[in-house]
Amino acid sequence: MKKHYFSTFELILLTLFSALVVVAKVALRFPVQVPGHSGLFWMAIVIVGAGIVPKLGTASLIGLSSGILAAFLGLGDFGALNTWLSYTMVGVGVELSLWLLQNPENVLVAALAGALGHTGKFLVKWVMGILTGAPLGFVALGLVWSLLNYLLWGALGGALGALTLRALRKAGFFAYLAEKR
Amino acid sequence: MSQRTRILIAGLIVVALVGVVLGVELLRRQAFTDELEPGSIPIYVRGKLIAAFLPTDLEQLTEVSFVDAEEGKTQQGWMLRDVLLLYLTPDALLNSDITVGSSSRGKTITLSWAEVDAVENMVMFDLAGRGTLKLVSKIPGFDIRDAWVQDVDRIDVER
Repeated sequence: MKKHYFSTFELILLTLFSALVVVAKVALRFPVQVPGHSGLFWMAIVIVGAGIVPKLGTASLIGLSSGILAAFLGLGDFGALNTWLSYTMVGVGVELSLWLLQNPENVLVAALAGALGHTGKFLVKWVMGILTGAPLGFVALGLVWSLLNYLLWGALGGALGALTLRALRKAGFFAYLAEKR
Repeated sequence: MSQRTRILIAGLIVVALVGVVLGVELLRRQAFTDELEPGSIPIYVRGKLIAAFLPTDLEQLTEVSFVDAEEGKTQQGWMLRDVLLLYLTPDALLNSDITVGSSSRGKTITLSWAEVDAVENMVMFDLAGRGTLKLVSKIPGFDIRDAWVQDVDRIDVER
């Protein structure tokens, strides 16, 4: 029998993480009025997903499938394509970062991966804005403020993800998963 | 490659990304050849330019906010009525139609002055994440994201 790259169990896990990203985005409200603050839970979920299924393509798959879900649910201010690309780029950004940095249980590594992944979302919005001829920022430094917030909240989310992974390992979750696989 | 080198490379990538974004935005602002200030929003009355506002012009206005029913997010910024009243008298706006548009999105919305003036409608500009203005409101039918006008770059007042 042909062996698939992701097992059915892993695919179910990744789908659950994708759904969790969208549910968190819709349901969780963090009372901070700054751009990009949703990166706190978003990046944590993607990092945990990438840590639990440590294979190349995991984070991208979470990004891609959460993007499809979010686009169909009509999330985001700038249309379905923008939403889908943003979510996908978050996954691809984390993927590339973890490919370079590897160990997502290292807090610094996860923080950097979270920051880079979340910046992917910012870059999609920014590039799409330029491509569609969006006007120059009304606030000259608004874009810088926004970018710094994306980096910061992404890094915090990544660090939170690393701490969650450590806690899961301590609780024996990875041993349990090894049996299930 | 050591872990330290990898982290250093990732850090450099972050710095490079910030540099690219800042550099491109700076170039875009320098390449702006319009007679208006870069990023400013022009107001036209019957096709004639009467003003173009910038963030500094809005400092004297009170910021308002509401939580939208669609996603439960806080929309925060400046009322369109307050912005218009900075440059026009209430008499000049009476019985007028206000059209707010975005050329990049090909979207416009036309509202009567009465609708804009009604505080409970919360017809206001929210500052979007990428630094552009988005016209939002609580008016039924114009209270969802699909209807809101993102990347606003023009306001027209017609009687």
